[in-house]
Amino acid sequence: MSNNYFNTLPLREQLEQLGKCRFMSMDEFSDGVDALKGKKMVVIGCGAQGLNQGLNLRDSGLDVSYALREAAIAEKRQSWKNATENGFVVGTYQELIPTADVVLNLTPDKQHTPVVNAIMPLMKEGACLSYSHGFNIVEEGMKVREDLTVIMVAPKCPGSEVRAEYVRGFGVPTLIAVHEDNDPKGEGLALAKAYAVGTGGHKAGVLMSSFIAEVKSDLMGEQTILCGMLQTGSLLCFDKMVEEGIDPGYASKLIQYGWETITEALKYGGVTNMLDRLSNPAKIKAFDLAEEMKQIMRPLYNKHQDDIIDGTFSRTMMEDWANDDKNLLGWRAETAETAFEKTPAGDVEISEQEYFDNGILMVAMVKAGVELAFETMTAAGIIPDSAYYESLHETPLIANTIARKKLYEMNATISDTAEYGCYLYNHACLPLLADFMKDIKTDVIGKGLELDDTGVDNARLIEVNAALRSHPVEAIGSVLRGHMADMKKIV
Amino acid sequence: MNIRLDNLTVNFDDRFQLDEINWQLDDTQHWVITGTNGAGKSALAAILAGAGDIVSGSMSGIPAKVGLVSFEAQAELIERERKKDDADIMDVIAEGTPVHEILHEGDRNPALIQQLVTMFKLESLLERAFRKLSTGESRKVMLIRALASEPDLLILDEPFDGLDAHTLEMLQQYLLGLVETVPMILVLNRFDEFPDFITHIAYVDQGRLQHQIDRHDSQAYNELYHLLHLKTTELQVPPTDSDTALPPLDPTQPLVRLNKINVTYDGHRIIDSLDWTIEPNQHWQLSGPNGSGKTCLLSLITGDHPQCYVNDIFVFGFQRGNGESIWQIKQFIGYVSTALQWEYKVGTGLRNVIISGFYDSIGLYTKATDRQKQIADEWLALLGMSDRADTPFNKLSYGDQRLLLIARAMVKHPPLLILDEPCLGLDDMNRQLVLALIEKICAGSETSVLYVNHHAEDKIKGIDNYLALEKREPDSSK
Repeated sequence: MSNNYFNTLPLREQLEQLGKCRFMSMDEFSDGVDALKGKKMVVIGCGAQGLNQGLNLRDSGLDVSYALREAAIAEKRQSWKNATENGFVVGTYQELIPTADVVLNLTPDKQHTPVVNAIMPLMKEGACLSYSHGFNIVEEGMKVREDLTVIMVAPKCPGSEVRAEYVRGFGVPTLIAVHEDNDPKGEGLALAKAYAVGTGGHKAGVLMSSFIAEVKSDLMGEQTILCGMLQTGSLLCFDKMVEEGIDPGYASKLIQYGWETITEALKYGGVTNMLDRLSNPAKIKAFDLAEEMKQIMRPLYNKHQDDIIDGTFSRTMMEDWANDDKNLLGWRAETAETAFEKTPAGDVEISEQEYFDNGILMVAMVKAGVELAFETMTAAGIIPDSAYYESLHETPLIANTIARKKLYEMNATISDTAEYGCYLYNHACLPLLADFMKDIKTDVIGKGLELDDTGVDNARLIEVNAALRSHPVEAIGSVLRGHMADMKKIV
Repeated sequence: MNIRLDNLTVNFDDRFQLDEINWQLDDTQHWVITGTNGAGKSALAAILAGAGDIVSGSMSGIPAKVGLVSFEAQAELIERERKKDDADIMDVIAEGTPVHEILHEGDRNPALIQQLVTMFKLESLLERAFRKLSTGESRKVMLIRALASEPDLLILDEPFDGLDAHTLEMLQQYLLGLVETVPMILVLNRFDEFPDFITHIAYVDQGRLQHQIDRHDSQAYNELYHLLHLKTTELQVPPTDSDTALPPLDPTQPLVRLNKINVTYDGHRIIDSLDWTIEPNQHWQLSGPNGSGKTCLLSLITGDHPQCYVNDIFVFGFQRGNGESIWQIKQFIGYVSTALQWEYKVGTGLRNVIISGFYDSIGLYTKATDRQKQIADEWLALLGMSDRADTPFNKLSYGDQRLLLIARAMVKHPPLLILDEPCLGLDDMNRQLVLALIEKICAGSETSVLYVNHHAEDKIKGIDNYLALEKREPDSSK
């Protein structure tokens, strides 16, 4: 059915495309929304991204309306309600697409092929088609009409944040790309930049990437460290604590809110800062655990990256799409039945520092996952900037979702693609870490080290600190966080 | 000693009245009475010394010997001396009563007088006529008289005014020596003059005892400081930054014109065919019960309501829905509401919070200019928060946050300042603080104020246009 676009390219171009990623400077956005001024923008899909991006673009002075399927309009579905209650013009594809200068495809990945096939014949000569994820182009090999410009504008946050940050007068980090096979008038970049300004993204930082780099890094990050590692870690840590006699309510709370707390430290100062929050003996312990896990899990990270690069992952997932999501829905139901998911967080006080002190293993898991994902991506030709955003940068976002909604809802909130990959990872990683977990006791998860003497060997501490600080994810991280801090003075 | 004033109303020659004072003092306490000029603080002190006519209520427990030093008492004595002079119909140069006689009048301790005269360095003036003394010198005489009477209650009304540094320090030392034995009431309007031994503070405004505060309640103490500062400071609303001046508006056009506005939610009509025009330099009050659509109406003006694109709205030269951005609208508006305060959950320093008003942002994302920083510092001075320029916003008390957000809203001198229930959730003290600031703004700038309150009777001086919304019943939604 589909034809993997990436696999049709020669190696030279594959490498070139994978290596595209550049942090753009503020003065590249001095034209504001001019390139889109007076143009008719039609959004397809009115979910969280569709609605919130549309609200921002309209508030930036752009002409936005929504094209929905006839059934959604006739049955007054939620998407129709979202659009009309916010005062947008809503019409069918037939009514609106032929008038559009830019069509924003903000439907879920799974719908891209039917949606694009339906709208392409209706689109104006020379119009622009915009995506917020490159899966359809790269993995499904969608061929878009030659006269159409194809761009991608992908805010790196959930739709609600995209809106909330805009209203504050800021924005969210955004990735843009132009599909070079479809840029007949050479205006793709100007349109993508204006779109990023319209959503407020330029204020928070914009990465210029390629469709390929976006897809291959996004898939890798979301299924390994972001969702997969946190899911696997949650299940393992919870079961271990309960097995060791720790109160299940406490265990549930330590995990549900622990990821968020420890990755907050990660967000501000990288892996180094996250480990610096631990006492010296705990830091060395976390370091050693992470090294051990990295060794165990490295083949799994390699396999995920390999399957993503050669298209195996997307092919098997699309087979499940064709099979009415049998695997996905089955795995989702299993998640709801796990002991962690079914144990509500207890009514206990846990201080901010206690999440670190009693969650040494969780800190080690985040460190191992972030570094492995980063190392694997860069080894596959994805450049460090991109690998940083798709691993370390986004981990706190998912951790935040777990804090609010635990695993089942986290999975339902993320894209189906991320969710599918998350389950693949989880199923492979649980048995992989089984032996490792046998030696784990409550000193590293649940109770903390409880040492009378927190002394450590100088040489060993120096060694560990040096290793932490010299990891490549820390080098690029400090540069990119520096850019962010320049713009976002508020933190 | 246990003084009680119960519902006491006291009249002073129909010139002034203290109303319904409820106050209790015991001899372990030392009070400061404070307030703005004309608030009634001296009157409150004076009634304990027998001044004024009691209209209603009761007063009990006043000790036999009350020592009072005040400008009024001083003026009275000088007036008495002047009358002596007038009464002298013979053609003789009247010298008036010498200081030593004035000091020894009545029942006073001569040894103590001697000691105090030395302390206050009045020896050389003992033979001089009292009425020939300078204000500061006669003030010293009044202090000696009061102290030498060995009172059971000492009332000092602005005792530190007009004293040189040496005398001031000496007096403060002397008072310190009385702390254990004599309860004191000081009338002072400068916080930095409050001696450390003060245990309680009474705040008087418009003839009423508005607040009684324990010195150790640091939050209440801090709020009172700000209130008094705002009420008494001569600082005016700081100018705005000419470098970031707003685009000029056509003065013949209204600021806001809403034409037949309709807003519907889930089939329920919130606003039904409403017309409203705000002309430049008009101040408006918008009132109505909860759910009458006040905030909805405001958000149509500010551009925060999505249905502003499907209504006939003209704001600041823009007919909405013609390619303008909300930032072009918001630049003309200063906005304060409880919701904004909830949204403004940032650790930004106070100076930057004020500067963020230039950019209509929550948090500051742009490098501030030196001029902007200077203006922000002037606002902090006006608010009495200069020492906290870098304190994180979220560490401020709720009331102080509100004050700061009002400064943020005003920093660019917007043509329209919207205050959506600015006193909501504030206690009485903070309410008065906010209203004091708003009155300063109304008086000192060209900004039109749109004040929203669900109590139509809660008025602000200077606002003379009213729009009252009514709650719409669910039935009338069609």
